[in-house]
Amino acid sequence: MSAEATSAGYLTLIRAVLYREALLFIRYPANAIGGIVVALFFFIVVFYGGQLLAGQALDDSIEGIVIGYFLWTLSAGAYASISNDIGSEVQWGTLERHITTPFGFAPVAFLKGVAKLIRTFVTSTIILGCMLVISGTSLEFAPLTTIIVAGLSVSSVLGVGFAAGGVTVLYKRIGSWLGLLQFGFVGLVSAPVLAVPSLRYLPLAHGSAMLQQVMRDGTRLWEFSPGAVGLLIAVAVGYLGGGYLIFELTTQRARKLGVLGDY
Amino acid sequence: MIECVLILMQSQSASAQTALSVTALSKQFGRGETAIQAVDDVSFEIHPGEIVGLLGPNGAGKTTLIKSILGTVIPDEGGVNIYGHSVADAPRQAYADVDVLFEGARNDYWRLTVRENLRYFATISGVHPDSVTKEHDRLLEQFELAAEADTPVRSLSRGMKQKVSLASVLASGARLLILDEPTLGLDVAATRTLRRELQRLVSDTDRAIILSSHDMSVIESLCNRVLLFVDGDLRADTQVESLLNSSETQHVELTASPIDSATQQRLSSCSQLVEQDDTAVRLRTKATTSTLCETLNHLEMAGASIKSIETTDPDLESVFVELTSDDS
Repeated sequence: MSAEATSAGYLTLIRAVLYREALLFIRYPANAIGGIVVALFFFIVVFYGGQLLAGQALDDSIEGIVIGYFLWTLSAGAYASISNDIGSEVQWGTLERHITTPFGFAPVAFLKGVAKLIRTFVTSTIILGCMLVISGTSLEFAPLTTIIVAGLSVSSVLGVGFAAGGVTVLYKRIGSWLGLLQFGFVGLVSAPVLAVPSLRYLPLAHGSAMLQQVMRDGTRLWEFSPGAVGLLIAVAVGYLGGGYLIFELTTQRARKLGVLGDY
Repeated sequence: MIECVLILMQSQSASAQTALSVTALSKQFGRGETAIQAVDDVSFEIHPGEIVGLLGPNGAGKTTLIKSILGTVIPDEGGVNIYGHSVADAPRQAYADVDVLFEGARNDYWRLTVRENLRYFATISGVHPDSVTKEHDRLLEQFELAAEADTPVRSLSRGMKQKVSLASVLASGARLLILDEPTLGLDVAATRTLRRELQRLVSDTDRAIILSSHDMSVIESLCNRVLLFVDGDLRADTQVESLLNSSETQHVELTASPIDSATQQRLSSCSQLVEQDDTAVRLRTKATTSTLCETLNHLEMAGASIKSIETTDPDLESVFVELTSDDS
């Protein structure tokens, strides 16, 4: 280090990574706007198409559809952004540069995950607002409980995103196929956890059921049983940790095969 | 006991003075008949204040060696220590002392501006960006990028992007710099600036630099020492001067009166035509008795008069060609 240079700690790193993500979000809004438009287009098709076909039956379940769709846009956005981001870092050669630093890629990846989560919360909240206006529905919910429950639900999907990103590091071109995985989240969001309790251990499923209660019935976090909250946290931590472990293992394998920087 | 402690202290002091220590490093890709031995049992040390050139033809294993040193390719055998820290066992400590410019990689974020990139990569390299702002400004000035400081990197030319990557690595403060093809896309002025900056870094801050390049003039003018690789094998580890002195490729340049095309044809077996105009022909031959005599015989038979005979010293490029093409 030169005479004038001083060390950067984790706080400086946090500021740098979050600042970079914020800059890109503000400076290049086209992706976010495009995502909002496409999500709303599909919601309009579902809403008006459903009204034509199902009439009153759809009106009765519109709250559930809006909440489910909100959680799906949240999870699909978080998953796609983290897995695509890792793929881009590999393609650009910046992943290798991150790995050969005193911090390593782990804290940067974690901070990127946090940033993507915040970013998708912003876009999904806009989508939620538009859906409520389009469908003429209103929801009464506690914002803090909603953020915590939705955030923990989506954390499990971030883990899946890390795993998919890791597989992309190893097999490169498979990334576009793994993108299709986000459509599978529809099944997880609408999983019948009451009828089949074991489905609660899958990502999103248990969180989605809790979010329905939070946003439709106004249930607060402390009104849930400790077991329900504990399972929500365990699923979030388990999938996030497991996903990151897969990312580490696939990166290690790519380093062994000498294909980390190849694209 | 005291002797053991002294030996331990000596060995620790020696490793502290070694910027990079590579021991019996090997890496093979693939298996069976199609296996490629990219790096074959390579050992060497680099000390602070040294600029070491990494030479070798395409596919010689230079980039694999660099990536194996950094651990982005995990070697099959052998170890790497950077300022006494093992890359395999203590990567974070080892990486605190090294920064790298990867060949062909983008090395930067194109959607960020030049200055944003410099600040971001300073931070992840463990340097507080505010503490190197002056150094960034100075390097941007040196590389004639000051006017582009707030321009997104994607809008810059190929050479300018390379300058941004170089400025980012040079300002990192790492005590060991590894530069893989740093002159790629650089114009003459920028190459000259790079030479000046590298010389300044070594003389002022005693850093160690590994320079892998196909630009022989850069290697010859900057490096004290070269490592020559052929087929993953470290063929030579020597001072540039020793390499030049050991060469057998000293040449003789002859200038004679013009010759016809039939004579040119006959001479092609023993000499190389450099140029011919209305007044003279210039020929180059190897400085061996047989080739020189054969050339002179052909010229005499054609009735050409010899105007001058000069011997020329080999440059690094000709030595490199000699060592890598003969497989000697």
